[in-house]
Amino acid sequence: MNSKQNNSNFLMGLLALSVSFPIIVVCSAWFFPGTELWGHFLENLLPELIVSTFILLLGVGLGVSILGTVLAYLVVMVEFPGRRWLEWALFLPFAIPAYVLAFVYLGVFDYSGYAQVWLRDFTGISGFDIRAGSWAIILTFVLVFYPYVYMMARASFKRQKIQMIEAGKMLGAKPFLVFWKISVPLARPAIAAGLLVTLMETLADFGVVSLFNYSTFTTAIYSAWGDFRSIEVAAQLASILVLIAFFLIYFEKKARGKAKYYSSDVSHIRPYSAEGILGWITFLFVFGVFMLSFAMPMLQLIIWSIEKYGEEISQFYLNYLSSTGILTVSATILTVAVATMLALPSRRKDESKALQLLIRFSTLGYALPGSVMAVGLLYGVQNISLVSIHFGGSSINHILFGSVALLLFAYISRFMAIAYNSTSASSEQIKPVFEQSARLLGSSRMRLIKEIYLPMMTPGILAGGLLVAVDVMKELPATYLLRPFGWDTLAIRVFELSSEGLYDRAAIPALIMVFLGAIIMLLFIRLDSEKY
Amino acid sequence: MNKKVSIFSIIVISILSTSFSAAVQAASNDSLTVYSTRKEHLIKPLFDAFTAKTGIKVKYLTGKGGALIERIKLEGKKTKADLFMTVDAGNLWYAASQNLFQPVSSEIIENNIPEHLRDPEGLWSGLSVRARTIIYSTERVNPSELSTYQDLANKKWKGKLCLRTSKKVYTKSLVSSLIHHDGMEKTTDVVRGWVDNLAATPHAEDVHIMTSILAGQCDVGIVNSYYFGRLQAEDPNAPLKLFWANQNTTGTHVNVSGAGVTKHSKNPDDAIRLLEFLSSIEAQKIYVGLNKEYPATQKIKADNLIALWGDFNQDKMNLSFAGKNQADSVSLMQREGYK
Repeated sequence: MNSKQNNSNFLMGLLALSVSFPIIVVCSAWFFPGTELWGHFLENLLPELIVSTFILLLGVGLGVSILGTVLAYLVVMVEFPGRRWLEWALFLPFAIPAYVLAFVYLGVFDYSGYAQVWLRDFTGISGFDIRAGSWAIILTFVLVFYPYVYMMARASFKRQKIQMIEAGKMLGAKPFLVFWKISVPLARPAIAAGLLVTLMETLADFGVVSLFNYSTFTTAIYSAWGDFRSIEVAAQLASILVLIAFFLIYFEKKARGKAKYYSSDVSHIRPYSAEGILGWITFLFVFGVFMLSFAMPMLQLIIWSIEKYGEEISQFYLNYLSSTGILTVSATILTVAVATMLALPSRRKDESKALQLLIRFSTLGYALPGSVMAVGLLYGVQNISLVSIHFGGSSINHILFGSVALLLFAYISRFMAIAYNSTSASSEQIKPVFEQSARLLGSSRMRLIKEIYLPMMTPGILAGGLLVAVDVMKELPATYLLRPFGWDTLAIRVFELSSEGLYDRAAIPALIMVFLGAIIMLLFIRLDSEKY
Repeated sequence: MNKKVSIFSIIVISILSTSFSAAVQAASNDSLTVYSTRKEHLIKPLFDAFTAKTGIKVKYLTGKGGALIERIKLEGKKTKADLFMTVDAGNLWYAASQNLFQPVSSEIIENNIPEHLRDPEGLWSGLSVRARTIIYSTERVNPSELSTYQDLANKKWKGKLCLRTSKKVYTKSLVSSLIHHDGMEKTTDVVRGWVDNLAATPHAEDVHIMTSILAGQCDVGIVNSYYFGRLQAEDPNAPLKLFWANQNTTGTHVNVSGAGVTKHSKNPDDAIRLLEFLSSIEAQKIYVGLNKEYPATQKIKADNLIALWGDFNQDKMNLSFAGKNQADSVSLMQREGYK
């Protein structure tokens, strides 16, 4: 019995280690001597970058926490006009890639955009540069990432014990006090989990920050690589992101604590109702967020698409669609399968701090910029080749480079955080008593997994899968570098056109992507409503 | 459940097997493979023309410069790439410095492409030319006020200048050329003056510089000529004009897109044929038609639209300096806070 359990720990460890492979390669850059480049960076670049990265993380963190939590609270706890459709409509911004939203916002709101031109014509106020300072980029990130917090907080609010809120009401607490003193503290772990994903993605972002010309840590990484051609220093800088992400995870764990506040039943009673003017104000607020984060950008993309439809659509689109589809489906299945295996409950795993640490480490790829991780992977394969040649074998580079296998591996490594968050959340709800009784009854672990764990984890597995699917579909840098010949995806098409400044043509593949993403989100919502 | 598991494993196995076969397939001999940082819609028509003429098929993989260069390096002797194609002399120089190319001596190329647009050792050749020059609002700027890149650092342009980000290689190459002509000290003053004169955070794209001038955010900027060409093709009456910078001094900074035959090409003869074809009049016409760029060869005239901009003196600095000075130019810009 014991050896079997050790075996399962060993297998989990091996799996987590393989997923961590590119992260380990990137971090191993510290074995190479730093160059004088560090001196230049420390003097001229890093002080400013650290401050601006910190401001960005702080602003985006506060923004998504507040917006995501408030929206989730409103749709779960308050009855107001339009609530039913807005509750799911608020998920849709997930489907829009961040860099697409950024170029739409710049096109509409920057100095030469319609909104400012209109404002100047009608009010006479002078124009302004929305890329100056950090408020506009923070707002963009908040509008694109708030669904992470919204999703988690909403699920948590739905499971809060209605009795506690009723008790608060009976004791005479005003709605805001109930929200602040009862609901938010109860939802804290969920909010922290959504926040964590947001901050990791903000740290790794390159697309939005380039469009706004805002300097963050990734700026230094790409400068080391692209300007000074030092891939070592780039990797060393990138490994600092891994470290930051590790701390974030640590704080999230702390925020979550040991407590599990969830009740297993879901309530459909809404304790509050906003009527009359108050109801419409609530509606306007929630609808405004939906407009700004989804409807308006969609409208802009549609307007651009109509102008360029004939020029852009060709038979190549069948190819873009099939590559996007095949990669998305296969990467999702694999990522979720690995994440499920890593999340399977076991007492041995709970006892092994080292294994838990390793599994956590394997999720950090999400905080690395995609192309750094992808190049890390190439270097990792190269190292294996060197070892193989050393022992008289041959190089495996030409087999793996440009193979779908390597690309899929990159996706697994990159999106493990998203998948593992979902699968582990559902496995944490499985009580240890199952394992004990299974043992008493002499049932094998395989049987326990098949008949108890997997069915109980299914909602988490499916939810994680849908989120990973949307993310894989939007992924650009790793796909761009690692894809085989002819495997261009919609995301690549969007990039190739938008990086040439051809935004109106780029709107067409972007729109198709958003459409597919929206279908995936609708599936997610369906699943979600069956759960409750 | 068992059934589900087996279906699942069939899916996984078939994904993995197709993925490896895709990689192996790519290495056949009667075709050429090009790695390119130039985007698909700008290269495909050229390759189609080559295939129609010679029967040699061309496969291509587009990507970002730094990443593709690493990939070719790591693929080493087994690389599938026969030709590496990129934009900006700085990138070509870097690829050459990383030993990616083999020297090519071809009379055809030497005949077609002027010397300053080629690598001195024949490692790469420029194939299309773009000028990076001053653009101004015809409503608010009198062209007699304009003269050189350096003059845009003059206080009279305070709050009127729009520039592209220093992170873009075109900016780096322009500043590298200033360093080549004027030295570090003078160029530092120029960059400092530019930063002082900025009307807005440097833009991510040349296109945004032009829309900002049209909207009145700034009056002058520096852009690549073909972006203006595209804008003019869409809106011939836009109140914008190009000004040929540095005509009385060093000439207007030009840059190239180009290509070189990779060191470990399996099929160097055909790769050279493709490179020669790309320098030929037939291909140069396609280049010019596709992207409002100037031909690299002097044997044909520019496209009608860009011919209207008039002739200008090119900066004859050998373009490999754009690469050699690049690290200096970036540290200079970072020190001066040019974002």
